[in-house]
Amino acid sequence: MVSMSLTRRPRFRALLCALLLTLPAAGTVFAQASPDPAGIATGDKTSVTDAGGGSFVVAEPTDKSAPDYAEKKKAYDEFQASAQKEPLAMKLADGLGHVKIATNTAWTLNTGYLVLFMQAGFALLTCGLVRKKNAGHLMMLNFAAYVFAFLAYYAVGFAFQFGAVALNAAPANIGGTPTLNRFLLGSGLWGFLGGKGFFLTGPAYDASANTMMLFQVVFMETAGYIIVGSICERITFGAFLLCELFVGALLYPIFGNWVWGGGWMSQLGASMGLGHGYVDFAGSSVVHAVGGFCAMALAIVLGPREGKYGPDGKPVAFPAHNLVFVVAGTFILLFGWMGFNPGSTLGATDLRISVVAVNTNLAAVAGSASALLVWYWIFGKPDITMACNGMLAGLVAITAPCAFVGPTAAVVIGAIAGAIVCGGVLLNERILKIDDPCGAISVHGFCGWFGAVALGIFADGTYGAGWNGIGAASYLGAAGRGVTGLLHGDASQFLVQLGGATLCAVYAFGFTFLVFKAVNAVKSMRVSREVEIEGLDVPEFGMEAYPEGSEQVSLA
Amino acid sequence: MTLLKAIVRPDKVDSVKEALGQIGISGMTLFEVRGHGKQKGHPAIYRGQEYNVDLVPKVQFEVVVDDSVAEDVVATIIKSAKTGQIGDGRIFVIPISHSYKIRTGDMDRQ
Repeated sequence: MVSMSLTRRPRFRALLCALLLTLPAAGTVFAQASPDPAGIATGDKTSVTDAGGGSFVVAEPTDKSAPDYAEKKKAYDEFQASAQKEPLAMKLADGLGHVKIATNTAWTLNTGYLVLFMQAGFALLTCGLVRKKNAGHLMMLNFAAYVFAFLAYYAVGFAFQFGAVALNAAPANIGGTPTLNRFLLGSGLWGFLGGKGFFLTGPAYDASANTMMLFQVVFMETAGYIIVGSICERITFGAFLLCELFVGALLYPIFGNWVWGGGWMSQLGASMGLGHGYVDFAGSSVVHAVGGFCAMALAIVLGPREGKYGPDGKPVAFPAHNLVFVVAGTFILLFGWMGFNPGSTLGATDLRISVVAVNTNLAAVAGSASALLVWYWIFGKPDITMACNGMLAGLVAITAPCAFVGPTAAVVIGAIAGAIVCGGVLLNERILKIDDPCGAISVHGFCGWFGAVALGIFADGTYGAGWNGIGAASYLGAAGRGVTGLLHGDASQFLVQLGGATLCAVYAFGFTFLVFKAVNAVKSMRVSREVEIEGLDVPEFGMEAYPEGSEQVSLA
Repeated sequence: MTLLKAIVRPDKVDSVKEALGQIGISGMTLFEVRGHGKQKGHPAIYRGQEYNVDLVPKVQFEVVVDDSVAEDVVATIIKSAKTGQIGDGRIFVIPISHSYKIRTGDMDRQ
């Protein structure tokens, strides 16, 4: 692969070199840390750590006034002396560091592929939940969501989200991305928007940065198709494309920068003394609540589907047309989530991945059991679509706390999420009269908010020492103590989670509502009443989802 | 000649077919149909919302027989399609004048 890219792109490389020579300032920046597109300079002895994360290489202390300067200087001198004595060990450490980065890169990419496969799960789930006359429309939305949001994220989204990641949140597990180091808005602990890596060129044309890109773009895609579940069966295709560009380029990356790109919310621990700053391990809020509350705003702007509410205001049932799709889709999503959550360590050398994977499954089964039983109890019949929503609710809620809690807490979080999704579906349908065909607002919005808050309640301090730069040496008086929630003695973590998750909901809902209320005023985002009654497949796309004759009932 | 239109439960198709074969009826046409009778379907529930399934799937047999055996055939269909529950279906008996065989063009009054 390496030699191929070298031979195929000589002109591009020459151009890049010329550009570097003409930009002396840029040249000096790159001299310290240059992008490594081939990955041949990523991972050396500085990447080597022991199981607890202790570095193999001892860094030279710089602060001579520090009380432990003499001690650190001695350790540094000893390391230098042994390095002189054992050059082969240093060479070996270089190889070991490279293997570590390679292991983590393989892990991160492969879990990213699992998340990518969630596309198929979402497509099946949402398609199965709607009426047959709109099945082709649903497939088109799910397909186009991936395509157009991806392009938007490639162009600007990645740079907005991770353009400053090296400053406060360099992902050391995959070799860091040292040249993505500029905030477009803000600076230091108060960054609001990343500013490097547009179109994945320059500093983002780097092996580590591309590992990040692959993993993060599929997360953004998840937020991108959450909205499909709420806006389907009535939105025009043109308006939908606009929604996807909005999510991929602006809505998702901005909040993602605040929490994962080293932005201001992640640094609230350092700047305001609030726990470990706002923590969201794999995206209950960053991905799911953003998608869910964006979906809520869009569902309100669009209004309910034709005939959803009778003249007396009573909701009318629009039964799912294919329960086989719904269940198959849900299990594909569960499978994909094994990439979503464990993959968010960005490294297989972080052995917490097994706990994360088990927690994720526990919350999923607790969520579906609780939703199924709650529904059984209220309506006298268990509903498979609600059981599926319950499984996803548990998954969404455990996504933020999955690395920081134990198995009992995971079951409790999942079970509560299962009850929340039942309440949410009834609240939206019967009281707020927001038409949400697939329950996306309840599953991703409400349970996403709850998941981020649950982290602040249940985190047990066993993981995440040094998270967001807080408590690397000791936290709450204990060495190695990580992110800690209310039940384990850190009320400030609960406060920052509650505030942050609520801000997420307000941001995603408010931003989307303002933009698309305006868009809708210029040109209606809804298909005509006739098209809606006929079904969107033929008027919007010129074809039906199912081949001729498949609508017949089968003979016994 | 008599046309028998028998609307039966989909799960009774095999027993009706077999019973007709046993009394020597060789030709028949089947349709998948939907409909309701007096009871207007049955209630269902989706995500907590009750609704009515008023068009229930059924299978319609069309059999043409000689007038002299029509009532026997009707009795056979009733016997093989009956469960005694609501929704067993109906049989319509319609006189017809004649038919043609497309392959030969022959007219048939018997």
